[in-house]
Amino acid sequence: MLVAGMSAVTLLIALPLSLALRGMLEAHFGRSLAAEAPAAGAGYEWWQEFLAQASGLGATFTPSIIGFGAVLDNLSALLDNLPMASTIAGATAAWMLIWSFLSGGVIDRLARDRRTRTAGFFAACGVHFWRFLRLGIIAWLLYTFLFLHVHHWIFDEAYPALIADLTSERTALLIRIAGYLLFGGALILFNLILDYARIRIVVEDRRSAIGAIAAGARFVRRHAGRVTALYLLNGLAFVLLLAAYAVLSPGAPGTGLGLWAVLLLGQAYIVARHYLKLVFYASETALFQAQLAHAAYTAAPAVVWPDSPAAEAIVNPSTRFARSGQAPQRAGLS
Amino acid sequence: MFPRIVVAFVWLALTGAQAQTPAPAAAPPQDRSAAPVAAPDALSPRNANYRITARLDPATRTITGDETITWRNTSNTPASTLQFHLYYNAWRNTRSSWMRGRMLGGNTPLAGRPSEDWGWIDLSRMRVLRGGAADDVFTQLRFIAPDDGNAEDRTVVEAPLAEPVQPGETIHIEIGWTARVPRTFSRTGAIGDFYFIAQWFPKIGVLEDSGWNCHQFHSTTEFFADFGVYDVQLDVPKGWVVGATGRETARTDGAGDRTVHTYSQADVHDFAWTTSPDYIEKRARFEHETLPAVDIRLLLQPEHEGQAERHFAATRAALQYYGEWFGPYPYGHITVIDPAWQSGAGGMEYPTLFTSGTRLFVPARAGQPEGVTVHEAGHQFWYGIIASNEFEHAWMDEGLNTYSTARVMDQVFYPNYYTKRYFGELIPWSFEDLSITRDTDGNRMPAYRPVAKNDDQSTPTWRYWPGSASAITYNKTALWLHTLERMLGWDTVQRILSTYFQRYAFKHPKPEDFFAVANEVSGQDLTWFFDQVHRSSNVFDYAVDVFRSAPASERGFFGEPGAQSFDPARRADGAFRTTLVVRRLGEGIFPVDVRVVFENGEEQRWNWDGKDRWKAFDVEKPVRAVTAEVDPERVLLLDVNRTNNSATLKPAGPAAARKWSLAWLIWLQDHLLTYGFFI
Repeated sequence: MLVAGMSAVTLLIALPLSLALRGMLEAHFGRSLAAEAPAAGAGYEWWQEFLAQASGLGATFTPSIIGFGAVLDNLSALLDNLPMASTIAGATAAWMLIWSFLSGGVIDRLARDRRTRTAGFFAACGVHFWRFLRLGIIAWLLYTFLFLHVHHWIFDEAYPALIADLTSERTALLIRIAGYLLFGGALILFNLILDYARIRIVVEDRRSAIGAIAAGARFVRRHAGRVTALYLLNGLAFVLLLAAYAVLSPGAPGTGLGLWAVLLLGQAYIVARHYLKLVFYASETALFQAQLAHAAYTAAPAVVWPDSPAAEAIVNPSTRFARSGQAPQRAGLS
Repeated sequence: MFPRIVVAFVWLALTGAQAQTPAPAAAPPQDRSAAPVAAPDALSPRNANYRITARLDPATRTITGDETITWRNTSNTPASTLQFHLYYNAWRNTRSSWMRGRMLGGNTPLAGRPSEDWGWIDLSRMRVLRGGAADDVFTQLRFIAPDDGNAEDRTVVEAPLAEPVQPGETIHIEIGWTARVPRTFSRTGAIGDFYFIAQWFPKIGVLEDSGWNCHQFHSTTEFFADFGVYDVQLDVPKGWVVGATGRETARTDGAGDRTVHTYSQADVHDFAWTTSPDYIEKRARFEHETLPAVDIRLLLQPEHEGQAERHFAATRAALQYYGEWFGPYPYGHITVIDPAWQSGAGGMEYPTLFTSGTRLFVPARAGQPEGVTVHEAGHQFWYGIIASNEFEHAWMDEGLNTYSTARVMDQVFYPNYYTKRYFGELIPWSFEDLSITRDTDGNRMPAYRPVAKNDDQSTPTWRYWPGSASAITYNKTALWLHTLERMLGWDTVQRILSTYFQRYAFKHPKPEDFFAVANEVSGQDLTWFFDQVHRSSNVFDYAVDVFRSAPASERGFFGEPGAQSFDPARRADGAFRTTLVVRRLGEGIFPVDVRVVFENGEEQRWNWDGKDRWKAFDVEKPVRAVTAEVDPERVLLLDVNRTNNSATLKPAGPAAARKWSLAWLIWLQDHLLTYGFFI
């Protein structure tokens, strides 16, 4: 359910831009016979003609979108800190904002390890959203620092200086990989701390984003081995998914059933990525609860209503301690 | 020219006790005791002959050289001065015309290079020897700027003579110089222990009947020189591999861990060389039933060792097809250089030697290194043998060669696949759905399209806008030659090119020479064509505008005066009226076919001279039309917008747009999830 919901959110954010691009392509093709090649297969020439007159969103429609190229394109753009079109940046920001809102409910649901009702889910989203927003602003500052300064230093200063007099591309590749590992390591460290900060905000009903980051950092430091191992396991699952898509991705869509098969496979890959993203959340939440679980920390089983411990705390703070065996105090809740 | 044995003796005397060993696979030393011009087997006029000794000092990145030029005035004009190119001075500072051109074209990072990256050439002496007398002209040398008057440019130097050199007279010019090898600019220079040395010695200009043709070095141009014989001794660190124009005729180990390599080549108009301790050497041979055999020597970077056969295959393909189509390669040997990564020396031609260019990872059908190898090997014909003036008419070698390259690629290596590099441009990925063909990649339309109006192609190349000189030179020529091929047929174009090749081998043809051969061989006056494609910057764009096909109907008053009556639907014969309006959106004019295809497969064709801005076509048939096209066979490859050349009443545009927008949707979703890393 969560996977389907989160996939639907991503689809809904992306779909309007896809429709806009569709309009651009239709206008470009008009009644031309040139549309027959792209309708039947791929083709390089019409693509070049389209790009020659495209701007903004249209300029993102490059051959790189085909099959596994899309994955390489996006990963490479992220790791190389390439600029993105303003419309894409806007969609990305909107998506991240919506995910920030939903992730409170998602983590809450995963922490409880049982179904929650829709109202409870969104109540948790609402409770945590402003906290996550504050955390998000801090995270944005941290990541901006990483990309503006650390990335710049590694890839725009150190890397060019290190390879300036190299005559071996292999050596340059190794240096670049080292750069990716260094930068990736910093990214992962920040990412880990922020992940556990997010979890602690939900599970421990924390309000202070700074406090949550500090708590997240403490958790990562004290459980560095397990945290890292879990992260690597999740990373491995991601790599395996990419490898599977690289092998299975048939490339450009054809016609008829072939067309829909390619598109469905692509969507299956997208759904799988959502699944992995949720597995990431779930496994980190479970690890946290396994390490620090006790009554005051977890939102676990006894609560019947409301589903979210955070929402419950707002309705009736005393229910936070219902786990101790007391019956809910509020009338009508039993 | 001094006898070779004297040169060897002098060298031995200068360098002390040495052990001379013959070079591996070296050709027997040629006897140059006779004046080169008198050689009975001369292919060229041999009027600019060089004997050079040069020593490379890697520690200071300096070349110290001495040369003797034996020069004969082949013009009808007495020469009261001599003019020489000093190309390395283009990189002395930002005031040179070359650097100014680069910066004008937007390439400003070059100007920010550190001090050790710059290069120059300084003359230390110059004497003119004639009839036993020596005239020291060194103190009278002056830099001139015949093209742009840039007093700061030092790429051309002029020496006044006490007595003019009369037509047919031969003189000897002794020059000493020192050159600082730059970090590569314009494909010559060094990086680490890799040296690629071109345009490196003082080189005499070309004296024409109208005077010296000795242009300054510009960022948009290459070179122009007379043919001659080159005997060059290269003194480099021992153990360093050397590749150079010509064949190695001797190799002498000297004192102090130095080795002198001697290379010789006749009937060429330039000499380039390379040295590095890292090269690995591979050899192969081109053999053909009717063409002369060619020894191929490949100097390869160690990390590209697995790509040797790809280089050989591409070189063989060029030698075969250029040989079969245009004329044989006459030298019997060729050296292929795989330059070091980041050397900036890749993709350049020199007589009997060229630089290719590849990467660590190159997918099998990525188009490289095959494309660049065929192209540069092909320059042995269009540039090496047909020595047109690259300062003024670069299209004559680069354009003809781009066209020829695409034809060879089409014969052997196409289709290739669109390949993009990710992660710092290091990791390639081929898109096997996107075939790269001669029509698209070979002609390079995408790069020509946005700059089509920037320059008339007939403008001297050195005056092209720097940012688009390449597209006007290479791409436009390939496009119009391919258009000519589709107009006249390959057989005719092949005869044009082979006639031109045979007629102007080892000469300096001009554009009019090529056009005259085209007219002569085709039996047509193609002036109108060359006016459009060469002598203008006109853009070609024909388009289908109106396209309707509906039941024919007539309405109104019909009948003789006095007996007219209103008929709301006069016709009911089931015929369909098809109306088509074709427009000329560009300035370029080209006769085009217009075709309408009907539902039953029948076709209707018109030939339109393409001159008016628009033309309407009407036809009635018992069936409805389904498609309309202007230039349906795509003869006019210069048409910058192919999409608007056709219309159909059953458009596939919506289906194509839906399909590709859905494919793009996956990319966007993946993009969002990738940035989801931060959430």
